[in-house]
Amino acid sequence: MKMIRNRLAVQLQRHVLQMSMSTNAAAAAAPAEGAAISEFRTAVTNPGEHSALQVAKFYTIPAEQKKQIFAGGGLPKQYEQQIKTFTEACLMVRNPALEVLEYIKKADLSKPVVRYLLYGENGTGKTLTMAHVLHYGALNDFLLVHVPWAPNWMKRPKEASNAAGQEGMIDLPFDAAAWLVHFKGQNSKLLQRLELKTSKEYVWSKRESTPAGSTLLELVEHGIARIKYASETTAALISELKLLSTAGKCKVMVAIDGYNAFFHPVTRIFSDNKQRVTPDKITLTHPFLNITRYDWTNGVCILSVDKIAMTEGHMDSYMPRYLLGTEGFEHLDPFVPIHVENYSDKEFHSYISYYLDRHWINKTPQGFEEQLKFMSNKNPYALMQLVRAL
Amino acid sequence: MAVRVFGVNLIKTNRNLLQNACKTPATTFGHTAVAQLATEVTVQASPAAVQKQKVSKAMRAYLKRANEHDEFMKTQHLEFQIGKRHLANMMGADAETFTQEDINEAISYLFPSGLYDPKARPAMKSPEEVFPARKAAEFDETGRPFHSMFYTGKPNFFQLLHDIVEETRKLADLEERMLRRGNKPDENQKLEMSGFQLLPKDQLELVLVESIADIEYSNFTNSMDRLIASPYAYKSKAFIERFLKPLLDQSKQLEVPKPKIDEQGRQFITTYECLRKTARADVTIRLPGTGKISINGKDISYFEDENCREQLLFPLQFSEMLGKVDVEANVEGGGPSGQAGAIRWGIAMSLRSFVDQEMIESMRLAGLLTRDYRRRERKKFGQEGARRKYTWKKR
Amino acid sequence: MSFLTRIVGKSTSFSGIRLMSVYPQHYVEPIVQKDKQIEQKDELTKLHHIPIKAALNKSSDTVFHDDTKEKLLNYITKKGNSALARTLLSKAFELIKRTQTERLNLAKGDKDKVITNAEVLLKQAVENCRPLLQVTAIKRGGVTYQVPVPITTKRSYFLAMKWLLEAAREKERKVSLPEKLAWEILDAAHGQGRVVKRKDDLHRQCEANRAYAHYRWS
Repeated sequence: MKMIRNRLAVQLQRHVLQMSMSTNAAAAAAPAEGAAISEFRTAVTNPGEHSALQVAKFYTIPAEQKKQIFAGGGLPKQYEQQIKTFTEACLMVRNPALEVLEYIKKADLSKPVVRYLLYGENGTGKTLTMAHVLHYGALNDFLLVHVPWAPNWMKRPKEASNAAGQEGMIDLPFDAAAWLVHFKGQNSKLLQRLELKTSKEYVWSKRESTPAGSTLLELVEHGIARIKYASETTAALISELKLLSTAGKCKVMVAIDGYNAFFHPVTRIFSDNKQRVTPDKITLTHPFLNITRYDWTNGVCILSVDKIAMTEGHMDSYMPRYLLGTEGFEHLDPFVPIHVENYSDKEFHSYISYYLDRHWINKTPQGFEEQLKFMSNKNPYALMQLVRAL
Repeated sequence: MAVRVFGVNLIKTNRNLLQNACKTPATTFGHTAVAQLATEVTVQASPAAVQKQKVSKAMRAYLKRANEHDEFMKTQHLEFQIGKRHLANMMGADAETFTQEDINEAISYLFPSGLYDPKARPAMKSPEEVFPARKAAEFDETGRPFHSMFYTGKPNFFQLLHDIVEETRKLADLEERMLRRGNKPDENQKLEMSGFQLLPKDQLELVLVESIADIEYSNFTNSMDRLIASPYAYKSKAFIERFLKPLLDQSKQLEVPKPKIDEQGRQFITTYECLRKTARADVTIRLPGTGKISINGKDISYFEDENCREQLLFPLQFSEMLGKVDVEANVEGGGPSGQAGAIRWGIAMSLRSFVDQEMIESMRLAGLLTRDYRRRERKKFGQEGARRKYTWKKR
Repeated sequence: MSFLTRIVGKSTSFSGIRLMSVYPQHYVEPIVQKDKQIEQKDELTKLHHIPIKAALNKSSDTVFHDDTKEKLLNYITKKGNSALARTLLSKAFELIKRTQTERLNLAKGDKDKVITNAEVLLKQAVENCRPLLQVTAIKRGGVTYQVPVPITTKRSYFLAMKWLLEAAREKERKVSLPEKLAWEILDAAHGQGRVVKRKDDLHRQCEANRAYAHYRWS
C-alpha cells in the first residue's frame, strides 16, 4: 500500500513538473490560443485545451454535448435554471479542475487506476468541477460511468424491493433502470463504435439469459426493459467494463458525486422488519464500490465527498477521513485528495462581470462588489443566493 | 382712641410690609436665590401696642413652626460643622480645609456600601442640600401677606408668569418703535436656542419652591416660547437665561479613545462589553487591514443568516472602511441576531478612533453608536404574553 | 383596573408618546440612509444635542437594502419569522428577473425597454397600485354612506403593498408565494392584473359616490 502510494506520489510530482514546463512552452508558442472574447470569457470549448491561461474564464458547453452528457443529472438544479435563463451553459475554468485534467492527461493508463477525491466546504464547486472533467472525458473517448448524486439512492429511492438472487439484500429497480438509461444516453455513440462484447453468459432466470459475446448495448437494453433485473444487470455491466478496460479495449472514467453516502451507517430505506438498512445491504452499492478499487487499469476515478451527502444528522467537518469513516477510507486508500476552495479575487471579479453581462445583477451602486465579497465570503453558492435579490 | 391705636398699627404694619418687601425682591430667581425666597422669619421688634393685639391661634402656631424650623436648621448646621471636624480628625486631615469632596471620600471609605442606588448609600451633606427648601413666612404676625399674589396659592409662579408677560409687552413695544423708525433687529445677536432647553417641570418647582400642575407648566412653556420667538428676544437675554438648561453636545459626550499599537506595528482599538440582549462581545479593529473578519476564530460563515452578516457589513460600509480594517470579535451568549447586534455596536464604537468627527456624527445620527438596551418584555398576569390579551369572550 | 392602566394614568397627559418604551421620550428616530442624511442636512444641526435611538436590526445602508423592500418584508413576515420572509422575497425577485431576462433575450426590437431590475419593477408596481382616495363609512340619519375621503401617502403605499400580498396569497395552494408574488408584481408594473383592477374599482366607487363627499363635514 505504502509503496504504491510513494510510487504514485513520485509519478505525480514528475507530472506536475512536466506540466509546468509544458505550459510555459505552450504559452510562448500559442499566445492566441485563448482568444478571449471579453476578459471573462474564452473561446476554447475543449477542456483538453484548457490551461492556466484560462483560469477564471468562462467557456461554453455546446448544447448537444450538454444534453448528451448531463441529461440524467450531473449539474446542480439551480445551475440548470441559470443555464436556462442565460440561454447558455457556461462553466468557469478553475484550478482544481485544471489540476485533475493535467493528472489525467499525463497519467500512464497502463498502471492501476488512480482515484481522485474532491472535497471542500458546502457550495465551493465540487459538482461543477466534476462536470468539467466529465466534459473532457466525453470528448476524449472515455466511457463514462457517472453517478450524478449517490445519496439519492440512499434517501429517496423510487421503490425498494427484496433482491431476487441474494438473501437479505435490497434492490432499487427503478433507480437502477434510470441509471442504465443515463449510461446509455452518455455512451451510446462510443459503445456502437467500439463494439464491446461480454465475456460470459449471464443467467437471469430459468427462461432469460444473455449469452456471452453479446454487445454491452444489448445488456444495457435488457436491464432497461426488464426492470426486475436492472440492479443485477448493472453489476454485470460494471464487472464487464472492468475486464474490458483492463484488456485495453476501452478507457473508462468513473465519476461519482457524494461518494460518502455509500459508507454512511444508515440509509432511509426500510427493510421488511421496518428497520433501517445499511448501504452494503443494497445491491446497487456493490458495483460502484467494485469499480472504485484499484485492481483494474486503463481508467480513471473521480469521486467527491460532501457534508450534505450524508443521510441523517449533521456533519462537523468536510475532511475526507471524517466523511468516509474507517471503512471508506481503507477502501479508498491511496487516493489523491483535491481541495476545492472558495473563489479567489480574480475568479470572484470574473463571475460578477459575467452576471453583469447577462443582466442578472441590476443594482450596482458604488462599491457593491466589495460588499458582496464580504457578505458571501467568496463562496460560490452564497454568492448565487445573495445575487438573486439584486 | 381705638382709631389712633389702629392708625399707629396701620403705619407700623405698613412699615413692616415695606421693609419686608424690600428684603424679598420678587425679580431675582435662580439657584442661589432659592435661599432668598426661603429666608428666616424676620419678625421686627414691634411696639408694645401691637404686641398686645390678639394674634389668632393659627397665626401663632404658624409663626411657632417657622421659628422652630429656623432653630432646627441652625442646630443642623452646627452638627454638620462638628461632624465635619470629627471626620477630618478621623481621616487625619486639616479640619479647616476639609471640602465636601473630602467628606464624600471619607464617608465612602468608612462606610462602604454595596447598594445599587447612589442615593441610598450613606452620605453627609450640608443641611441645605438635605432638607428641602421651605418658604419663609408669607405673612406677618397680623396675618397680612407680604406678596400681593399670596391668595393665588402659588405667588412665585404667577409672579413669574406676570414677569414674562411684562417682558413680552416691552419687547413688542420696542419692536413697534423700531419698525416706525425703520430699523430691523440685529441678526448677529439672535438668541441661540439649539443648545438649550427650557427648565423641566421638576427643576422649575425647585427654583420656585412651589409645586406646579401640568397645565400651569405648559402655560409657562408656551409663554416662554412666545417670548423667545420674539425678534428682539436678545434684549431680555438675562431674564430668559435664568430658565434655560444647557444641553450637552451628544456626539462629543463620549470620549473617543486613542488607538494603541500592537506587536506588528498596527494600530488597534478594542471595545469591551458590547451588549445586545443576552449577547456579550468584545471587538478589536486593526488598521491597516485587508477586510478580514474573524468571529470566535471562524470567518463570517459563523453567521449563516444573511441579515446577521448584513449587520456586520453596515458600520464598515457606512464609514467607508470596508477593505481597510481587520475585525476580530469574541462573542458568547444570546442568539445569532443578538450576537450580530453586539458586534455591530462594537465595530461602530471602535471605528470612531479611525474616523473624523463628521463621520462620527453621521454614524450617531444613523443610530450606530447608541447602546440598544431593549430587553425581552416580561409576561404579565391576566394576559397571555407581554402585550397579547386573552381572547375576549362576550359571555 | 389593571396595573397597566394605572401606570398610564400616572404618565403625563401629553398624547402621541409611545408608552413603556425603553427609550426616554426625548430620543429621536435614527436616519439610517446616507442619502437621506445628506438631503436633510439643514435640519440635522438641531439634532446635535438630542440623543438618538439605536438603529434596528433590519435596517442598514448596504446594497441589499431598500425602503420599499423593507416595508414589504414587514408585511410578509408572520409570527416574527423575518428570515423566511426575506428568503421568499428574494425568490420572488429571482423569478421576476428570470421572466424579464427571458423576455429581454426574446425581444427582437427595442431591448432597452425591458427592465430586468426587480427593485425598480417593484416600485413601479406599487406606484401603479396606489389609490388616491379611499371610502369611509359615515352614518347620517340612520343610513351608512360610503364617502370618498383623501388618503395619506403612507397609507396609500401600505394599501398598495397589502393588496399585492393579498392577491398573491389568494391563488391555489400548489403554487408557492414567491411565484404568485412575482406574477402579481410583474402584472402590476405593466399596469395590468388584479391589483390594478382593484385600485381602479376603488377609484370608480369614489367617483360614483362623489355626491356624498360633503358628508365628511356634514
